Amino acid sequence: METNIIYTHKKLVENSKAGDRNSQYQLYELYVNAMFNVSIRMVGSKEDAEDVIQESFIEAFRKLNSFRYESTFGSWLKRIVINKSINHLKLKKIPITPLDHYEYQISEVTNQEAPVLDINKIKKGIKLLPDGYSQIITLYLIEGYDHIEISEILGITISTSKSQYHRAKKKLIAIVNTL
Amino acid sequence: MDNFEKYIQKNKDQFDEHKVDHLKIWNQIETELETPKTISLFRKFSIVKVAATLLILIGAFSIVRFYKISEINFNSEKMIVNQELRDIDVYYKNLVSFQVQLVQKNTKLLPEEKKEFLSFMDELDEEYNTLKKEMTQNLNNEYILEAIINNYKKRIELIENLLKQINTPQNSNDNEGYIL
Repeated sequence: METNIIYTHKKLVENSKAGDRNSQYQLYELYVNAMFNVSIRMVGSKEDAEDVIQESFIEAFRKLNSFRYESTFGSWLKRIVINKSINHLKLKKIPITPLDHYEYQISEVTNQEAPVLDINKIKKGIKLLPDGYSQIITLYLIEGYDHIEISEILGITISTSKSQYHRAKKKLIAIVNTL
Repeated sequence: MDNFEKYIQKNKDQFDEHKVDHLKIWNQIETELETPKTISLFRKFSIVKVAATLLILIGAFSIVRFYKISEINFNSEKMIVNQELRDIDVYYKNLVSFQVQLVQKNTKLLPEEKKEFLSFMDELDEEYNTLKKEMTQNLNNEYILEAIINNYKKRIELIENLLKQINTPQNSNDNEGYIL
């Protein structure tokens, strides 16, 4: 079963490797919206996300021969998009891990109430999170990376990833509960 | 994983709320993929950079080599001059010391006369030392070498003249003896 998932769109991928522009376009159509949303959640701006998507697809098609079905094509492509988004944030000097002063604010919300389970409020709350917190919440809860993968993506230790995630989550709950 | 986390994961599809202008971005991607000129330009630029680097390296190497060769030539020239100087020195030094000994051993000269003559020799010795110093400072070596030789010649000439003067009256007396 897992093998089948890994080989999803194999024909399109193989034709794209051979340089077939039509297959490349079909792959692009299948993934562009998902990747655009991944990027916009990371960089926070539509224009920046468009740049990231464009660069990511160009790189993906150029490096497609290095794709060996060790994961799904979507996961492989998403990792490119995430890395490009992180690089974009670094270029813009936006912190990808939270600043220390937020830690002090977190201590004020330690004994918080049960979180409000409202997806619209949560979406709004994530957007209100400081830079760094929104990225780690996105990577863990929405993109589905574990702390080992997040540590690699952000260039931090696994324990830092865990502690930052917990702080971010507390902050998010505090924000959502006020909305 | 708590309920909050589970809730978000369950509803993560709802975060995909943005739509993108497919064709606009694809056109840009296609243009970029069809024109690998950026790569070839980059490669050309790289080639130019490599060529320029090589040229600079060759240039630098040539300059260093030129100076090294000049230095070697200069050093070998210096060695030849030094050798020449040593040869001349040995030859004339032996000649002068031999003649000075002749003067010193000469019984017909008074000690004062000997002293006066040898002090004159010392003056020429001083001049010789100055010339030798100048030689190490690499001034006009040929000219200085000539001056050193002249210095030696002058000393030899003076000694020869002196010895001649000492011996001449004795010879004339002998001749007179025979005439008589």
